[in-house]
Amino acid sequence: MNWHTFFDFSTMASRHLVAVYTGVWLIQGSYLAWVAWNWRNTKGSPR
Amino acid sequence: MSRSSTVRNVAWLWFIATVAVLIVGFRQAIFLVPTEETMGNLQRIFYYHLPHAILGLIFPYVNVAASLAFLYWRRRDPLKALTADALAAASAEVTVLFVSIGLFSGMLWAKPAWGIWWAWDARLTTFLLLWLLYVSYLLVRRFSPAGQTGTLSAVLSVFAAIDVPIVYMSIQWWRTQHPAPVFGPNGGGVDARLLPAVFWNLAGWAMWGIFVMLFRFALERRRQLAEQEAALQAIEASLETPQ
Repeated sequence: MNWHTFFDFSTMASRHLVAVYTGVWLIQGSYLAWVAWNWRNTKGSPR
Repeated sequence: MSRSSTVRNVAWLWFIATVAVLIVGFRQAIFLVPTEETMGNLQRIFYYHLPHAILGLIFPYVNVAASLAFLYWRRRDPLKALTADALAAASAEVTVLFVSIGLFSGMLWAKPAWGIWWAWDARLTTFLLLWLLYVSYLLVRRFSPAGQTGTLSAVLSVFAAIDVPIVYMSIQWWRTQHPAPVFGPNGGGVDARLLPAVFWNLAGWAMWGIFVMLFRFALERRRQLAEQEAALQAIEASLETPQ
């Protein structure tokens, strides 16, 4: 398989393969970004 | 070098190593391992589905261990109990994250492979139940009265964890739609040429899961300490008020 066949959307199987790989990175990345955003916006204790 | 900067450096190194392992895993899964004979390229979903499904059954054990530690310490040592509660909250969120992806990737695999999005078979149903239990856990944490959150959620966590071995054993106890196990003593096995993609992705997503869980734990601790600080300041201000 190569990039060209990976992004071949002619069949349902290939569309779902791309959906899984991009969806997983999107969901995991969004969760990490949400945690990082909250980390930046929560003040650490000065004591 | 201070302790916090050492922790930050280790966290960054861990994160960079995780992304590197995931890139190798992606390359193995999509470009390097041969195409499986029966399902063709659709089978490559397996390399992302399997790690998320496995890790979705491991993080609940972190949650139940932290919850039991909370129940043990809540009267004996409230500060340790608070730390255990933060770990329980973090591991429950990561459980929901991984189980959600396990369900979503499984459904996207099922439609082209079986012709249906969903089947009420034993594995799928018990796995959905696990997701519902941990979503309920997070809702209890969010909406229970202040002061009771830790205890209520810790008790729910013990009940939720009972579903984990049932999910794991479901494909051995009941032979329904979901394929039989591929690993373990009764597993059907995987072609040795496909194993690099399996192991690189398993290692990468395990490293990622540990990273996000510990980051979420650190955030929860930061929130707890900020709340303690605010409470302390309120007490100090009330003492300074002339009577």
